[in-house]
Amino acid sequence: MESGYHIVVCGSLVPDPLQTLEPDVGPKGPALKNEMVLPSVLDPWAAHALYEAAHLAKEYAGSKVWLVSVGPKQRLQQLMMTVAQKAPFSFVPVDGSASGFCDPFETATALANAIGAIPDLDRSRLLLFGGYASASRDAGVTLQVVGEMLGITEVFLAVDSLSVSENGEISLLERVEGGNYLFSECDCPPLVVGWATGHLPEPPNNPQIGMANMRSIMPALQKAPQVQVGAEGVSFAKVELPQQQRTTRIVKDVPVEQIAGEIVAWIRG
Amino acid sequence: MTEPVRNDSAMKKILLLAFVEENGALGKPALEALSGACELAQAFGAALNVGLIGEFAQKAADSIASCGANQILAVQGPEFASARCATDSAAAVALIRAAEADFVLAPQTTRSARCMPGAAFRAKGRIDTRITGLRVDEGTLLIQRWYYRQRMVAELTRSQRPWVVLLEPGVFSPWSGGGGHAEVSIVPVEPVETRTRIAGIEPASAGTQTIRPDADLLFVAGAGWTKKQADGEVHVEEAENLIRNFLDLTHASLGSSKSLVDQSGEGQKVISLLTHMHQVGQTGSTPRHPKGLATCCHGEEPHVVGWRFINERRAVNLDPNCGWARGKADVLYVADAFAVMGKVIELLGKDAGQAAV
Amino acid sequence: MGPDLEKGTENPVDRLNLDVDIACVGFGPAMGGFLTTLAREMEQASGEPHVQSTVLPGMPLQVVCYERADDVNFGVSGLVTEARAIRNTFPDMNPSEIPLAHPVSEERIVYLLDPHGASRRSLGLRIADSAIRGLRWVLPYRRSALELPFIPPFLKKHGGLVMSIGQFMQWVSNQVSSSGMVQIWPGTPVGEPILEGKQVVGVRIADQGVQKDGTPDVGYMPGMDVRARLTVVGDGPVGAVGQRLDEQFGLPEGHHQHDWAVGMKVVVSLPDHCDLVPGTVLHTLGYPEPEIFGFLYVHPERIASLGIFVPSTLASPVRTVYRYLQHWMLHPYLWHHLEGGTLRSWGAKTLQESGRLGEPYLAGDGYARIGEGSGSTNVLTGSGVDEAWMTGVLLAEGVIDLLKKGEPFTQANLEAAYTNRRRKSWVETGSRKAQHARDGFRKGFVTGVLGMAVSGLTRGALNLKTRSAHPREGIPDLNQYYRDRISSEELQRIREECAKNAIPLHDALMTRAGWPEIPLDGKLLISQQDALLLGGKVQAAPGFADHVMFVDPAVCEQCGTRLCIEACSAQAIAPSPSGGTPEFDREKCIHCGACIWNCTQPRPGDRERGNIRFYAGAGGLHSAEN
Ligand SMILES: Cc1cc2nc3c(=O)[nH]c(=O)nc-3n(C[C@H](O)[C@H](O)[C@H](O)COP(=O)(O)OP(=O)(O)OC[C@H]3O[C@@H](n4cnc5c(N)ncnc54)[C@H](O)[C@@H]3O)c2cc1C
Ligand SMILES: Cc1cc2nc3c(=O)[nH]c(=O)nc-3n(C[C@H](O)[C@H](O)[C@H](O)COP(=O)(O)OP(=O)(O)OC[C@H]3O[C@@H](n4cnc5c(N)ncnc54)[C@H](O)[C@@H]3O)c2cc1C
Ligand code: SF4
Ligand code: SF4
Repeated sequence: MESGYHIVVCGSLVPDPLQTLEPDVGPKGPALKNEMVLPSVLDPWAAHALYEAAHLAKEYAGSKVWLVSVGPKQRLQQLMMTVAQKAPFSFVPVDGSASGFCDPFETATALANAIGAIPDLDRSRLLLFGGYASASRDAGVTLQVVGEMLGITEVFLAVDSLSVSENGEISLLERVEGGNYLFSECDCPPLVVGWATGHLPEPPNNPQIGMANMRSIMPALQKAPQVQVGAEGVSFAKVELPQQQRTTRIVKDVPVEQIAGEIVAWIRG
Repeated sequence: MTEPVRNDSAMKKILLLAFVEENGALGKPALEALSGACELAQAFGAALNVGLIGEFAQKAADSIASCGANQILAVQGPEFASARCATDSAAAVALIRAAEADFVLAPQTTRSARCMPGAAFRAKGRIDTRITGLRVDEGTLLIQRWYYRQRMVAELTRSQRPWVVLLEPGVFSPWSGGGGHAEVSIVPVEPVETRTRIAGIEPASAGTQTIRPDADLLFVAGAGWTKKQADGEVHVEEAENLIRNFLDLTHASLGSSKSLVDQSGEGQKVISLLTHMHQVGQTGSTPRHPKGLATCCHGEEPHVVGWRFINERRAVNLDPNCGWARGKADVLYVADAFAVMGKVIELLGKDAGQAAV
Repeated sequence: MGPDLEKGTENPVDRLNLDVDIACVGFGPAMGGFLTTLAREMEQASGEPHVQSTVLPGMPLQVVCYERADDVNFGVSGLVTEARAIRNTFPDMNPSEIPLAHPVSEERIVYLLDPHGASRRSLGLRIADSAIRGLRWVLPYRRSALELPFIPPFLKKHGGLVMSIGQFMQWVSNQVSSSGMVQIWPGTPVGEPILEGKQVVGVRIADQGVQKDGTPDVGYMPGMDVRARLTVVGDGPVGAVGQRLDEQFGLPEGHHQHDWAVGMKVVVSLPDHCDLVPGTVLHTLGYPEPEIFGFLYVHPERIASLGIFVPSTLASPVRTVYRYLQHWMLHPYLWHHLEGGTLRSWGAKTLQESGRLGEPYLAGDGYARIGEGSGSTNVLTGSGVDEAWMTGVLLAEGVIDLLKKGEPFTQANLEAAYTNRRRKSWVETGSRKAQHARDGFRKGFVTGVLGMAVSGLTRGALNLKTRSAHPREGIPDLNQYYRDRISSEELQRIREECAKNAIPLHDALMTRAGWPEIPLDGKLLISQQDALLLGGKVQAAPGFADHVMFVDPAVCEQCGTRLCIEACSAQAIAPSPSGGTPEFDREKCIHCGACIWNCTQPRPGDRERGNIRFYAGAGGLHSAEN
């Protein structure tokens, strides 16, 4: 019997969060200003999903990991330079927009189609992973919709821990209100897991893994299907930077007592 | 793979969809969303329906009996008592269909976030989440949401129906009309096949719960608490005591910086109260509280974006040039947080003692 | 103690091995030229035996390139270039396809006078300044500056391009990688070359999962050994691999690396009122100190790159760059254009200004060196990118020759195929003309400018040669340097004050010496730490060892002029509260390499080097606009 999991990780690029971002509203809807000059990174929570997937795959022999990304082909190629050394995976690129202003349903459609086309994917062993929300849209919708499209309704969101018991039962901890975890058990795959931070540190760059991955990444990129991903039906009235500059009163060289008194009065007030 | 969605922009039937809490009542987020739904129904001259999901719905329905809903629908039963995607989304889609809603408003909670996207998909509609404002402009509903992790804010509308919107807390005041007896129509749901069992709720960190979404004050502890102080030593235990005492006295919610929560597990002395769930910022949370006090935190942009929804902000930092000084806080106290917080606790303690007398 | 070299021998660890045909270190313009040329041959000759791998039979040549920075577009440079070599490689290149690129449209050289009287000007210069001021009605004099009426031919960049090195390198990496022929891996610092006798047999990647001092920590992953038939070293002026090779093999007779500069730049969104047109190239001299050169290049979309070079010949014991950069931007001539602008990006990097005289052995058994680290930068014309690119192209051509002939990469073969090619190229003729062009600066600014003019105008036939010495030898101590401006008692007081707060001296001293305070505006004039955050977005991944190490703490203890602290471009080196060896903060370092040559004390046993050892580290700047 075949063993191990088939783990499909959905995740794409977002602008390096350190960058200064500004919106630019054009005739085709909103976009990021100078989007082309912004370096990008793998969406942080999706990155955690990838590390968790790699970790599980290592633990359960026979497992396999795919990374499915919808993004502009050239930028995906660039992204792979920083991601492919992290964990072994097969890359399934889809050439389309990764803008935060796209509708998650459209992104989900592109992802579901790409996953549907993966040869030899065994749905009975499928763990559909991803970040529980993206750093671009922050909607927390895409994964559930991909799940629906693939007929998977066991969904776990904002997961920090996934463990498998001896009999194959999967236990999950999901972040819920008030700093608590919802603890659930699921008999078996397939299931959808939207990861939060998880528990694993970012793996070091491993040149050997990179070399091996890259052999399939370039051909995959060359064959990447092109899709239209947008936000049909949505009209943006405006997109703007928030006014965040406050006038800061700086209190300096003042006795501690006075500061403490002021803070207490303020907390009460 | 998607089927065609309706595209007639109608706002004739509005459904407020909410989950009943374990105690049978409706939570604050649900009541806030109800206020929003009532306003919208009025603005559009639309019919308002309420859909409830939970183990029992009657008590919750009674509590909002005077809200003006045409009908209160409910899916109830033990399998709907707590959050589980498969059962929740089946219930939600049944309610949307039964109400023939073209607009669905639900509070943004972890429970709705999990199941509503699937429900919207099955109802052949679309969903917008994390909505921080609703506004009607010339007969069009505009919703406000943030993009790129609170870096920019947009107003938008959408033509597909049904349109499901998850509303962030704090946008409307909770509905506070009178209760009474409400007529509840139970909506049947086919038995749902699920492989998932709910085993319970557990706190992320042992001991007292320090993340308190309802608190008036957010208290942020930054990495400075564990750094070498003027005497060349670290004072982590003292820091932890100060933080703990302050939280006990104020019931503030505890937040932290990435630098500090990342220290856990690296084998150094750490503040045991903190977990990754306490991290505020770009890759952490964006809590909502009327006030926030940052201590020993530099106020760097990736952290401060998480303060988007904190109205009044103050900071205590030794460095007069820290980020807070640059328009990120209303007041920056340039001082030693150990000394200041010690004194604050003393003052608060005194008052607490007096109050007890 | 070093993180990589020593440990391997003391305590052998299991290292993974990877076999490739060609291992490349650093992805700068030099490597861009090399990989583009090589990848093209591999594509065109696909299937032919000479582009087949010998380590992975049946596969094409395995070529990998490791870059230290977190992405391939995080480099720092001006940059205006004649782009001769680059255009030769990409004859159909359309600048509008590369963000921020624009053909040069206008050139000006401007002599800046000192509006504050705070700079150090020799008597000769002061007389010249007075004369200029006196004749300002007849001279092209504006806003305390003299626009030179002509541009010496050797400085002309007409027909060239204004670019962003980051965007250009990103564009190049896309061209190269999409061929699928070579792999480029950013975020992967190479620790050192692997030597077997005199032969380089590959490179060792820096260890990960280690503590600051290099000892293994949780998640320890010893750096992999990448074994290669040929190692191509293009790691720039201060790269760890190039430095190790220099330490190992020394420099050819008569060569030295005594001349350095640190270039610091900002990328600015120009204010609406600014009327500079895209493609404008401005060069300045004379201010904030006479020896400091400045540049301002205008990109499309109202964006400009501007900055200064602070050379090792500026004999100041508080050779700070950041504050000088701010004074320079505030000069009336420039501020007129910049006021109201916003900082988008910031960065700094060392330039190897010994040029041809700093050339190391270009090839040895199993390795070859290209780019600025191989002495390619032309110090007369102030250009390094095109030259670096060309050296890469020349090496690739040589390598293709050897591959075709099936000959091994020995020193003799590489010299014949590469070094000879280089000797015959315009890079060589250019750098020979330039090799003494900067010597005059050792004798002061006026002599320096004269020397440059003489070398430039006679095409290197005539030069003002001076004896070369390690830069530390020109550095006076603080008392001496400020003897006419600050009393020694006051100096002592300032020293104590700064030591107490563990901050560098330069701000206090410059202010005291007459430099006005910088009016921070939160947009373009921001604190140095803000520049790290807002402009540099500096980040350091955890798990790497400190890459700046103080070799002998005892030497630092005794060091009077802690220039490493004053000169650090990012305030990453700070006085230690205990007063001993300075403290290094990896999280702030931008890998500019200035600390290496700003150390004022010789390393025990090696007078050519200072007491700082620079290893390979990850992280640093996160900006793709520099
Ligand atoms: C991609 C990315 C995402 C990130 N996401 C987040 C995020 O979500 N959340 C987040 O917080 N950070 C985030 N960061 C990190 C962020 O940039 C900062 O590094 C971090 O917030 C710094 O934490 P800090 O201010 O607590 O620590 P530090 O920068 O170390 O500051 C410590 C402060 O304490 C002060 N101090 C020390 N002792 C005292 C004392 N006795 N009294 C008063 N003050 C004292 C010091 O003056 C200093 O200002 C992110 C960074 C990146 C690159
Ligand atoms: C502020 C400034 C302005 C300048 N302006 C101009 C100009 O206008 N015109 C012009 O022609 N030239 C200019 N130059 C000079 C020009 O930038 C250099 O000459 C040129 O970049 C040299 O190219 P290179 O490929 O040899 O080295 P570099 O560009 O230095 O590239 C070396 C690469 O190797 C990497 N590296 C280093 N060590 C390691 C390691 N251990 N492992 C892996 N990777 C490593 C580095 O990160 C870097 O990416 C300027 C320089 C500066 C600093
Ligand atoms: S590194 Fe050099 S300059 Fe710095 S303190 Fe040590 S000896 Fe002095
Ligand atoms: S410590 Fe880093 S930033 Fe400072 S001079 Fe050295 S290399 Fe440059």
